[in-house]
Amino acid sequence: MKKLNRRAFSVLLLALFIVLGLFTYLQRFLESGENWASYFTRLNSLSEGTITDRNGVLLAAFTANDNRFNEDRTTRIANYHVTGDFWDRTGTGMLTNFSRQLHSYSPITGMTQTRRVDMTLNVDAFINNKAYAALAGRNGAVGVMNYRTGELICMVSSPAIDPTEPEPKVLDGVYINRLISAAFVPGSIFKLITAAAAIETLTTIWQRTFFCEGEAEVAGVKITCPFEHYTQDFPGALANSCNIAFSQIAIMVGQNEMINHVRAYGFLDPHDLDGIPTAAGTYPLDFVGDPETGWSGIGQSTDLICPYSMLRYVAAIANDGVLVEPKMVRDGEPPRETLLVNPETAKTMHRLMRNNVVTVYGDNRFPGLTVCGKTGTAEVGDGTSHAWFTGFLEDDDHPYAFIVFVERGGGGLSVATPIANTVLQAAVRRGTEMDFES
Amino acid sequence: MQGDFYSYTLTASKAVLILLSFAILIRCLRSMLREKYDPEVWAYLRYGRERYPIEHWEVIIGRAKDADVCIPEREIAWSHAVLRRNDSGQWRINDVFGRGGVWVNNIFVDDDGTDVNDGDTLNLNGIYVKFQDLSMEKREKIESKRAGVGRKYSPALTLLMLTVFQLFLLLQHAFYARPEHLADIALGFCSIIVMEWSCFNAMRIINRTGFEIETLAFYLSSLGMSVAASSTPEDLYKQILLTLAGLLLFLLCGWWQRSLQRTARARIPIALAALLLLGINVVASDVVLGARNWLEFWGFSFQPSEIVKVAYVYVGAATLDRLFRRNNLYVFIGFSAVCVMALALIGDFGTALVFFVCFLVISFMRSGSIATVMLAVTGAGLAGFLAVSARPYIAQRFASWGHVWEDIYDKGFQQTRAMSAAAAGGLFGKGAGNGWLHNIFAANTDLVFGMVCEEQGLLVALCMVAAVILLACFAVRSARSGRSAYYAIAACAAMSILLTQVALNVFGSMDILPFTGVTFPFVSRGGSSLLSCWMMMAFLKAADNRREASFAVRPGEKIRSLGDIEALRERQAQRKNREEAAS
Repeated sequence: MKKLNRRAFSVLLLALFIVLGLFTYLQRFLESGENWASYFTRLNSLSEGTITDRNGVLLAAFTANDNRFNEDRTTRIANYHVTGDFWDRTGTGMLTNFSRQLHSYSPITGMTQTRRVDMTLNVDAFINNKAYAALAGRNGAVGVMNYRTGELICMVSSPAIDPTEPEPKVLDGVYINRLISAAFVPGSIFKLITAAAAIETLTTIWQRTFFCEGEAEVAGVKITCPFEHYTQDFPGALANSCNIAFSQIAIMVGQNEMINHVRAYGFLDPHDLDGIPTAAGTYPLDFVGDPETGWSGIGQSTDLICPYSMLRYVAAIANDGVLVEPKMVRDGEPPRETLLVNPETAKTMHRLMRNNVVTVYGDNRFPGLTVCGKTGTAEVGDGTSHAWFTGFLEDDDHPYAFIVFVERGGGGLSVATPIANTVLQAAVRRGTEMDFES
Repeated sequence: MQGDFYSYTLTASKAVLILLSFAILIRCLRSMLREKYDPEVWAYLRYGRERYPIEHWEVIIGRAKDADVCIPEREIAWSHAVLRRNDSGQWRINDVFGRGGVWVNNIFVDDDGTDVNDGDTLNLNGIYVKFQDLSMEKREKIESKRAGVGRKYSPALTLLMLTVFQLFLLLQHAFYARPEHLADIALGFCSIIVMEWSCFNAMRIINRTGFEIETLAFYLSSLGMSVAASSTPEDLYKQILLTLAGLLLFLLCGWWQRSLQRTARARIPIALAALLLLGINVVASDVVLGARNWLEFWGFSFQPSEIVKVAYVYVGAATLDRLFRRNNLYVFIGFSAVCVMALALIGDFGTALVFFVCFLVISFMRSGSIATVMLAVTGAGLAGFLAVSARPYIAQRFASWGHVWEDIYDKGFQQTRAMSAAAAGGLFGKGAGNGWLHNIFAANTDLVFGMVCEEQGLLVALCMVAAVILLACFAVRSARSGRSAYYAIAACAAMSILLTQVALNVFGSMDILPFTGVTFPFVSRGGSSLLSCWMMMAFLKAADNRREASFAVRPGEKIRSLGDIEALRERQAQRKNREEAAS
């Protein structure tokens, strides 16, 4: 029996194994318990909270066992990509990305504490409604921000769904926030980058003229413009959005300098909007030779740009080169400011963009507004094209930078500018008349 | 105001549950492990001036230090002879491997052994030892000096704590349960309380004072009841019936093991029955989630492998004399191989592993040979490797191990949710019935650690694991003082099964081990699992020979049954006859 007694201790090896395993578990629990618990926050948390827009309009509210959204279906849909839903179906929604802030966790109490969090956004639900309505069911995105304060007052991606519907009809890419989570062929709005690069690297740019017969061979490849622009100077070439001129300019700037500028303006990197990661863009980084550099300078080639990056860029231009980082959440923290564009370049670009509207697009498209901007019609390759319009208001009372994007929507000037006008009119009237029709 | 009252009550009840868990565990621990209990004494061997007490029903006489009766003479082999006592008090001697030679009263002892009576002289290869049996009175005298159980740590008080624990669990359920389920849940907890106190009083009536094993089993069962109340409140009556059935089986198995002869005789029939049951399982049962391990009866799902576990322990344990037979392990190895293969065929790898670990423990305890164990592990590893290379889908089932968060909608579905809910529960839990994990498939069986973490908190969940470890420590301790190797091996084997289940359940659901879907003893909802756990406790009870502690151990000194008296009379008559013949 004594022999057995010794051998019996083999059973305790199992117990030892369990104890060691439990230590492993405890260690992991301390390390990643918060991640585990946060993964299924809606199921775990006993917290309560609300998310309201800048005017106190309720966008979403939740308690431990109840979810609520705005009562108006249109508002729910238009603001879908702002709120997200309780199933975490879209990655960019506040409910998904701010689960940490909305719910309390500690290793001691887990998520058993009830916490009340009320979150106010800079977004204006009314403007979002207008923007969503203006997109009229087309795939696309609208973003508007205050370039002085960084407040993101409009973030809309279309199509969207009603967040209360558990099984909606899934539309094309409905869960993708086209403003921040995807990159598209930029087309002519890319010329804003090429132009800035030219200003900084080509001292002779202002003396040069460009001749366009609607078709030309640049570095051995045929490049076309929709119209003959004939002789034009640099500002004229940008206003006309002359492909022939800008492919030549890009080649003159050279691929390396182009890359430097594209990178410096933040088009190649993901950013974060209050911690929500945004999509990075692309630009040919390996040596491609002059023809391809030319194409890339007019927003074709392998260029892809996230609309959000472009919004940052034009906001920086509007603010004399200083970017006030966009913020969706009103949390009282001071805005982050960075010098994105050389102030001189920014001022020049400002003038050029104003010139675009004055000389080509026409101020009558934007009654009562002083718009600086650039359109884009990006050929996708299948005969359709993305419609773009980006820019800002030259208005100290309404310092709004904007971007409008309609996927395969047609021409930038014909399709995107009316949407921009609708949204900007709403934003400006909102500031003065304060009509709460929503 | 009312909300405040609720939340204060709830917070207080969480604290009470944790404190009571600690108190119950610590009281059981001290009573089971810390207290010193004297060994039983059954007879003496006299050699020269030395008097060696015989403290078990099976002892090894030899020169080795780890022999139970160590006579340091060169003539004697390291393990020379086995002396054992049967239920009726008759002693018998065998030599070990025929190495040294044993004579009783100068008659050579052959393989079958020879009866030994009071006053007989044992010749161990030239060393003469006198055997001195104890009279009934003397034994009673020695026995009365042994410390009893429950003096320092009153089992009634521990059980009272458990009752309060259960009432507070019920209180928490009362907060969160749907009104229509409240009556059932109350009935569930009350019936456990009634069961434990009835059992306790019954033990009191037959003068048994050891109640720690039952207390821990009921502690785990009440957590199991809480899990069932959260997950399936609509058929809680099943849980009640199963707990009752488990308790009855526990009593039956404990009673059955009171007689060592009866227990030993039934091994072969039970082995055959177990194989038959597994055979039926392989042929007949449904395929559920890739494992064909369920049979359905009248709404109760029945898992034959759970019952076979008990039979396996029963068959695997052996008395000391058998340990020295050369073919000691062969039959058992064959039986084990058939069992594990049948389980692999069914696809129940978790249970197959449980059996295998139990096999290792039993074979090590029976042979003492690490080589045997290593051989078995190597063999199993080889077989596993072959199985995986022949059937790659087996490996796929374990592919998500360690990567569950990369596949939260498929392979890691259950584990990720269990881990998340467990982390959300923190140390103190959300309160019984307030979780969501129970909505996930198999939460109340395979993910039960996560459920307890979520609802009762990590501390109670750790207590739950500690309770099983405590039972295992007690089994190890009992092996020292056990009457027969059979009881010691059975208790250790039973606990090795439960420990393995705990490891696979807890670490499987928390992604530390592959997820095999094994139940947590007593806590996991599930019919046959609960029954088998209670039956396992009977093995533990049978090994507990502290004074008047266990109903499953016959008191040595007191004659209670008619059978005992008859056996005694017969023995006395025989002795008389022998004495007459001698004179």
